[in-house]
Amino acid sequence: MAAALTLEGVSKRYGDFQAVRDLSFQVEKGTICGFLGPNGAGKTSTIRMILGLQGVTSGRIGILGADDGRKVRDRIGFLPEERGLYKKMTPVDAIAFFGALKGLPTGEGRKRAREMLDAQGLGGSKNKKMKELSKGMAQKVQLIASVVHRPEFVILDEPFSGLDPVNQQGLEAVIRQLAADGATVLFSTHVMQHAERLCDKVVLLARGRKAFEGTVTEARATSKRFLELEGAIEASQAAALPGVSGVEVVSEHDGVRVLKAALGQGGRGQEALKAAFLGGLDVRRFELREPSLHDAFISLTGDNPDIDQSVKAGAEAAR
Amino acid sequence: MKRILLIARREYAAYARTVGFWLSLLALPIFGVLGGALPALMMSSEPVRDVVVLEEGPQAQGLAAAVQDAVKFEADRRASRMREAAAAAEKQGGQAGASAAGQALSRLGGLRLQIVQAPADLTAAAPGEAREALARRYLGDEVAEEQQLDSVVLLNRVDGKPTARVWTRRATDDTVEDFVREALKTVNRREIFLEAGINPVVVEETERFRPDVTALSPRSATGGEVSFRDRLPGIIGLISGFLLWSLIITGASILLNSVMEEKANKILEVLLSSASATEILTGKVLGVAMLTLTVLLVWGGIGAFGLIAGLPQYAGVIGEVLLEGGMLGYFAAYAVGGYLMYAVLFAAIGAFCETPRDAQTLMGPIMMILVVPLLVMQMALRTPDAPVVQILSWVPFFTPFLMSARAPSEPPMFEVVGTMAGMFAFALFMVWVAGRAFRAGALSDVKLSWKSFAGAIRGGGK
Repeated sequence: MAAALTLEGVSKRYGDFQAVRDLSFQVEKGTICGFLGPNGAGKTSTIRMILGLQGVTSGRIGILGADDGRKVRDRIGFLPEERGLYKKMTPVDAIAFFGALKGLPTGEGRKRAREMLDAQGLGGSKNKKMKELSKGMAQKVQLIASVVHRPEFVILDEPFSGLDPVNQQGLEAVIRQLAADGATVLFSTHVMQHAERLCDKVVLLARGRKAFEGTVTEARATSKRFLELEGAIEASQAAALPGVSGVEVVSEHDGVRVLKAALGQGGRGQEALKAAFLGGLDVRRFELREPSLHDAFISLTGDNPDIDQSVKAGAEAAR
Repeated sequence: MKRILLIARREYAAYARTVGFWLSLLALPIFGVLGGALPALMMSSEPVRDVVVLEEGPQAQGLAAAVQDAVKFEADRRASRMREAAAAAEKQGGQAGASAAGQALSRLGGLRLQIVQAPADLTAAAPGEAREALARRYLGDEVAEEQQLDSVVLLNRVDGKPTARVWTRRATDDTVEDFVREALKTVNRREIFLEAGINPVVVEETERFRPDVTALSPRSATGGEVSFRDRLPGIIGLISGFLLWSLIITGASILLNSVMEEKANKILEVLLSSASATEILTGKVLGVAMLTLTVLLVWGGIGAFGLIAGLPQYAGVIGEVLLEGGMLGYFAAYAVGGYLMYAVLFAAIGAFCETPRDAQTLMGPIMMILVVPLLVMQMALRTPDAPVVQILSWVPFFTPFLMSARAPSEPPMFEVVGTMAGMFAFALFMVWVAGRAFRAGALSDVKLSWKSFAGAIRGGGK
């Protein structure tokens, strides 16, 4: 499959701060790619370089056959992490304006804006001013504004942040539809569940470096399966079960513990359970869990994706 | 180009569609008219005070007559001035409107008091407490309205010098008091001259003498006598300078606020993904330029209408000056260069700021610099070739304002060409500098300072 986006050895430095280090990956046409990592991992810097908003310190980027995002900006749709639209404009005017900047005739932009607003359940707010809309509604309007010109490549920077669960589901449907219509989608997030549900491929980023590139299944396979045990059991008792390679105490209350027991290579959950019962262990709950993308991220990087990696004031100032 | 026009159109519409813009646009002419007309209206609405003047005994003899003479003298002097003004207006090629306007003005202005016959009982009352008690009565509401007085002036002499006790209906009204003081000063002066043996007629003539002074200059239109027409270009130049200053700063400030708003609302990054920094900057500068032009056209239109309707004799002359001396051309060139310099600078600063407080760091020194042309422009009206004016005209930041003010005095061609070339060269340099700063600022979270601003210019957002 042809690549819509290719990064080769891309690095970005702001003064003394290295935001992105030797990053290489590619996104195939018509796929959904999750660009994952905690805040401060270098996702936004990479996206800005892909768009041509910032230059690379070293390396090469190819997007839609061009060596600079600015040359194909009309074929790209972009939703930035920090969102905002003109407060005094109506959604239709705002969408048509941003569509027009991408080369869409204003009349056609207004027509599509109305249709897309209706489809998103915002038909009643078409002629209200942006400042009168709720945050969730405004985010939907901005998403529409970024794709109204039907781009070939859509870049969404943390598109789920600030949305309630219902709107998050709606956004997932929109992203799937964009891909179904033939667009390539690259979206960044630090919430792994969205990527697990949506992505054909994920790129994991930690401290500016690529930690993994592949499918969600491949990512999960890098992490161990584990047993979740609950009861009045000592960690040492769980560690002695067959196939268990390590134990972590998740919680403890009145002598009852929740333990996470990793299964080693070839370890089988049924054998461990059988041994626990035969050994007379007080097991009240037993669950065999497949590793999540979250687990895979921790396994691959040693970092928790929920913990902010933003560099503090000095390095930020260098930006 | 299409993107530039789209951004410019949005920028223009964002302001031009608001009621606030049109209100503030009309505020200047409205307040200008009110500011000019209010004092005259207030004066015309002021009542004419009925004043009684009484002498407090034989020692005060002649003082009442002197005060009455002063009233008459003031009325004659005013009538004479109005006649001269009307004649001068007609000499300028004016029409009937000039004398009509003059007459209207004469009715509005003037001394707002008249000496009336004193009531018999007041005249008959003995000077001192009895008369003052009666005066209080006539100044209060105890008597019928038609009998009420506004002021009672009791004249006397103390140690031979004229004095007065001025009773007024309103404690805050000092019109009569001031007038009587001046009248008695004149009496005293005349008496001192008389005592010194100087003929009263000579004193009178000396006081009434008004020398006929004629201003002449080889650079006047006639090559001799200087007329209002000769002074008009200088006045227009000064007004143009101030107008330009006001328009440029207003336009640049609109741009600063607009960019700040986009930065605060996180719109700049979206815009940058759709258009280049240069296109955004150019579009915004163009949009606000159209807005400024709208302001100029509306103000110009109102001004022209006001002149033609109110002072038609000057409208033609002003039009002549603007067209003949190439003033409009100068004004347009300096407006373009000046606006470009300040607009891009303010926009670049705005790209680093989310609130006006953020902008203060850089705006403070810039506003201080901007005060300089305001001060020097006034000097340029009288001495356009003063060294300080000439030197400061070469500073690109001041060129548009000072050269607009100097243009009517026809400065040397090398100065006109040199300063204008310098201004446009510097404006282009500012566009380059501001473009780099704008690109860097738009994506930056850095706290604005001169250091970070300079760093952004060096880095250019890379």
